[in-house]
Amino acid sequence: MVRLVIEVKEPRRSIPIIGSLSGMMLVMRHLFRKPVTVQYPEEKSKLPDRFRFRIFLKLDDCVGCTLCEQVCPNGSITMQHVDRENPRNKRMIYPDVNFGTCTVCRNCEEICPTDAIYLTHVFETSRTRNSFTYSPEELAMQEDEVKK
Amino acid sequence: MSIFSRLTSLFSPMGYPISEVLAYVVESAMLAIVASVSLAVVIYLFRKYMARVQLRIGPNRVGKFGLLQVMADGLKLAGKESIFPRKRDDLPYRIAPLMILVGLVMAFAVIPYGSLFWIGTLTVSDTSVSVLLLFAIIAIMPIGEVLAGISSKNKYALLGAMRAIAKDVSFEIPMMISVLAIVMMASARTASSLSINSIVLTELVPYGILQPLGIFVFMISMVARASYTPFDMGESDSELVTGYSTEYSGLRFGMFYMGLFGSILLGSFVISLFYLGGFNGPMQSSLGFVWLVIKAMIMVFMAFTLWLSMPRIRIDKFVNLGWKYLLPIAMINLVLSGTLTLLMGW
Repeated sequence: MVRLVIEVKEPRRSIPIIGSLSGMMLVMRHLFRKPVTVQYPEEKSKLPDRFRFRIFLKLDDCVGCTLCEQVCPNGSITMQHVDRENPRNKRMIYPDVNFGTCTVCRNCEEICPTDAIYLTHVFETSRTRNSFTYSPEELAMQEDEVKK
Repeated sequence: MSIFSRLTSLFSPMGYPISEVLAYVVESAMLAIVASVSLAVVIYLFRKYMARVQLRIGPNRVGKFGLLQVMADGLKLAGKESIFPRKRDDLPYRIAPLMILVGLVMAFAVIPYGSLFWIGTLTVSDTSVSVLLLFAIIAIMPIGEVLAGISSKNKYALLGAMRAIAKDVSFEIPMMISVLAIVMMASARTASSLSINSIVLTELVPYGILQPLGIFVFMISMVARASYTPFDMGESDSELVTGYSTEYSGLRFGMFYMGLFGSILLGSFVISLFYLGGFNGPMQSSLGFVWLVIKAMIMVFMAFTLWLSMPRIRIDKFVNLGWKYLLPIAMINLVLSGTLTLLMGW
């Protein structure tokens, strides 16, 4: 039977006050560094270039192929009927998106044959409860025009 | 001339007992106001300093730069309900926070503050035995902690109180011995060596330079007296909820909080008076108070840095530190300063 002996090293002994003083100096040096806090509503940190969140929809380009609905892994996209004259979209169905379950996987953007559905860097989509679903018309609007 | 004697002479047309009583009342009211405002300033400075050291911003919403944050917190605490534990000892439970706060304000009355321009001296009351008085008052405050811990009938509070007692008995003797060295050195230069005012006036060379061991022991003792982080055994908030103040809420908790920061301010004043030359400095007759405040503020920021850079040491290690290191160091300091005074004539 092999006996495992774990060797515990004694910590190196040094003069106690020196370590404390160097710790205090470290704390004092941090006083002159820039704070990392970003005061959110007033100032915003710079987002990365490829950051994407909010889904937009070009109603004129959408052909109602339902590919985005089929590819959505969470079932966040469902097709809705919208009364709208569009020669390319004879069935008059357009996607709506539930942002409560959307995981921003970007499959819908990738599969869209006409690039009608696309994601942007807009991320401030806070809404009142139970209304996370954006209708097709709301998906076509800018974020500040959407009724929250 | 202190503020008290000037007030007495101001009210003297009213006759002897009334003028004295009025002077006491006015002096106490002024002192309470000044002490609470300076405590608010220290709390604000601490929160700002801690935030900046931790790369945060700190209070900046209430008032300009968050200056009114402390006042808002105080109002919040005052508006809160005080919840009393059912099995408490009523009288000690109620007077414990008062003891800490009143002891603190009393200690601020004894310290000499130097003079400021045309206002003259800011010393509240000057007696010939103010050293004894000051340390008697400082010795009252631990009793408040102990009373709070025992009377709340809570196991955490009791443990906190026991730790506070162990801490207090282990640092107070080295502290008093290091003060004795100061008094000894001052007695070679002045007749009334128990008055803080005359001790400071003899400090042409700050005693901190002559007694480096003494200032070391006294600073550690003052940290332990204020009981903040390296030595906050009474509170131990990671183990004992908040120690002796566990069962307190509302304004009574606020008194403990103010007592903590007030002890830091008081300790900084006392260190700068005894060891850093107090209100001595260029243009002492008009800027004495400014020099004292500058020195005290440097000590306050050192205390904050110490607070923010160290973990709490274990209670048995602190007792060891007190009895095995601080006490012999204080004794050596006593002998050294006696030798310096007698042989070298410094």
